Amino acid sequence: MLKRIITPLLFLIFAYFIVSNNDAKTIIAGIAIFLIGMHYMENGFKLFSGGALETILKKFTSTTPKAIGTGFLSTAVVQSSSLVSVIIISFLSAELIGLTQAVGVVFGSNIGTTTTAWLVSSLGLKIKIAQYALPMLIFGVIMQFSKHSSYKGMGSVLIGLGFIFLGIAYMKEGFETLKGGLDLAEYAMEGYLGVFVYILFGAIATIVIQSSSATMAIIITALATGQIDYINALSLAIGANLGTTVTAFLGSLASNKNGKRLAVAHFIFNIITGLIAVAFIYQLKDLVDVLAGVFAIPATDNAMKLALFHTIFNVIGVLAVAPFIKPLVRFLETLFRTQDKDRGLPKYLSAEVMTIPASALEALRKETIHLYDKSLEAIVHAMNLHRTQIFSDRKINTIVEQSVSPIKIDIDKIYQQDIKNLYSQIIHYASMSQDIMDEDDNEKIYELKLTARNIIEMVKDVRELQKNLNHFTKSNNIYMINEYNKLRTQLVTILRRIQEIRDYEGEQEDILTQIQVLKEKSIDNEVVLNKNIDSLIRENKINSNMASSLINDVGFTHSICKKLLNSAVTLWVKDKEVKELGDEYED
Amino acid sequence: MKIKKAMEQLDVFFDLSKKKQNKKCDKLKKIILSLEEKKSDIKKQLKRESRKDKNSKECYELCKEFKVILKLIKKAKNHCVSE
Repeated sequence: MLKRIITPLLFLIFAYFIVSNNDAKTIIAGIAIFLIGMHYMENGFKLFSGGALETILKKFTSTTPKAIGTGFLSTAVVQSSSLVSVIIISFLSAELIGLTQAVGVVFGSNIGTTTTAWLVSSLGLKIKIAQYALPMLIFGVIMQFSKHSSYKGMGSVLIGLGFIFLGIAYMKEGFETLKGGLDLAEYAMEGYLGVFVYILFGAIATIVIQSSSATMAIIITALATGQIDYINALSLAIGANLGTTVTAFLGSLASNKNGKRLAVAHFIFNIITGLIAVAFIYQLKDLVDVLAGVFAIPATDNAMKLALFHTIFNVIGVLAVAPFIKPLVRFLETLFRTQDKDRGLPKYLSAEVMTIPASALEALRKETIHLYDKSLEAIVHAMNLHRTQIFSDRKINTIVEQSVSPIKIDIDKIYQQDIKNLYSQIIHYASMSQDIMDEDDNEKIYELKLTARNIIEMVKDVRELQKNLNHFTKSNNIYMINEYNKLRTQLVTILRRIQEIRDYEGEQEDILTQIQVLKEKSIDNEVVLNKNIDSLIRENKINSNMASSLINDVGFTHSICKKLLNSAVTLWVKDKEVKELGDEYED
Repeated sequence: MKIKKAMEQLDVFFDLSKKKQNKKCDKLKKIILSLEEKKSDIKKQLKRESRKDKNSKECYELCKEFKVILKLIKKAKNHCVSE
């Protein structure tokens, strides 16, 4: 009740403050425009990069220095550490990179994010960038009409840059006019008391605005217009760094275990970096003065010196924490472990990843493989076999003949507990992410949805097969036992071959050829098995009831084999051109 | 409407689909080449095996693989032409 009153009341007070205070209005409008710009730029890069950013982050993270460098460069280019974090979380979830590399990227990303300060203090303040902002916005909007997602993305990046520069111009104008009436520099505080007070201001501002880049833009423009003292600006920058950890930490609460682990790593890094910066703030200030001379930054250009300070203390943070990445990772791995209650829950589908088409697709592929593995367990046990037997080197005929005693397994229960929920989550996630995808990606999503459905249907088919299998293998009719063993052999052969295909690292057309050969053989098998049934009926070795059950089960087995092989094409033939040959082959 | 039309013109101007098509065709040609190599390998093996025993399991397997490869080559060639 109280919340219902307080929120609109605060909103009204804020609205009155903006309307009555012209200078504050301009500054706040500048912040709002800047934030819109950041939002557009991030979304634009998601569409525009077309998977390039993902490829870079995947390939160049093999060692810690490489991971740090890649994190730095990618964040500097896309100007969004949150975008890089999201991609890294998705890779970590898809097990494309390890936690050590991911932590390295996050550290590098912290240095990369300091380039925003350079952008604002150099381009944003030195050049009358606002006059370039308007053409950027115009061309950005025009490009939004394009059908191609890459042009749309490029348009969004242009709009984003336009808004960012426009926002800086408004902030600068606001602070300049504000100086005529109210001089914030009068409230400058010296000594460590000032340092702590301004760190707190910086942190609060970042938590409220939810963007350290925006806070840095405000600090730099305020500093450039002489509204704040230089040493207080340094403290505000430290505060902004600390504030961003709180935002990231809060954001990770809804994330998966990998997102949470990275948020903890980020938190630890920023706390240590912050502590170092606070302890040595005056020494760092002196170091900045020395380095400013080296980089030809004028001694009076406090805005650029602040950008330099921001970079230096993040670099020092990385140098201080990077040697301890391994123990940090060991600690992180003990956090947020998967529990048994997580059975049937998706492993790879996270909300943050959904907004990046290439990552969302990979997450869906991985999750469908997860569903396949869960269903495989059910299928194998229903056939009275174990996975270890199937994937061993032992002869299939021997395994099948020796494993005759039924395994007590309730397929319905497994379906309800483990499989159904996973399937629903895949379908929901696929449908949600389809919204932002282009035609090509939508096709891939459709294929994955179809594969997930095939997998579910396989489990339903095997449920039917299991009933007769257990009934007839207990019978005294040796012919029926033999025929059911043939069905089991066929299934095991295909499962073993698919497992080999999964591990195969050769040419894609080899994989497809092997799958197509298996399909052809499965068709031949169905014909042979049906002919066998005919002879068994004619020779009076099985009765009509047995025959009808067997005929149905031959159909179920063939259907399972076909679905298994079609799923294998979607999940393990990665090359689009090769995959399409498989599709056409169906005709 | 006019903006949309202008954008469509721009799309045509910047269109990368032809480049994409050529790239796809090049890829298909590579696939065909690799499949052709496999075809001739299997043909040799098939001849060798059929001399020993035409009804053997090996012969059946090779025959299947040979047929599949032939079909895949045909499809790949069709794809390349239609592109």
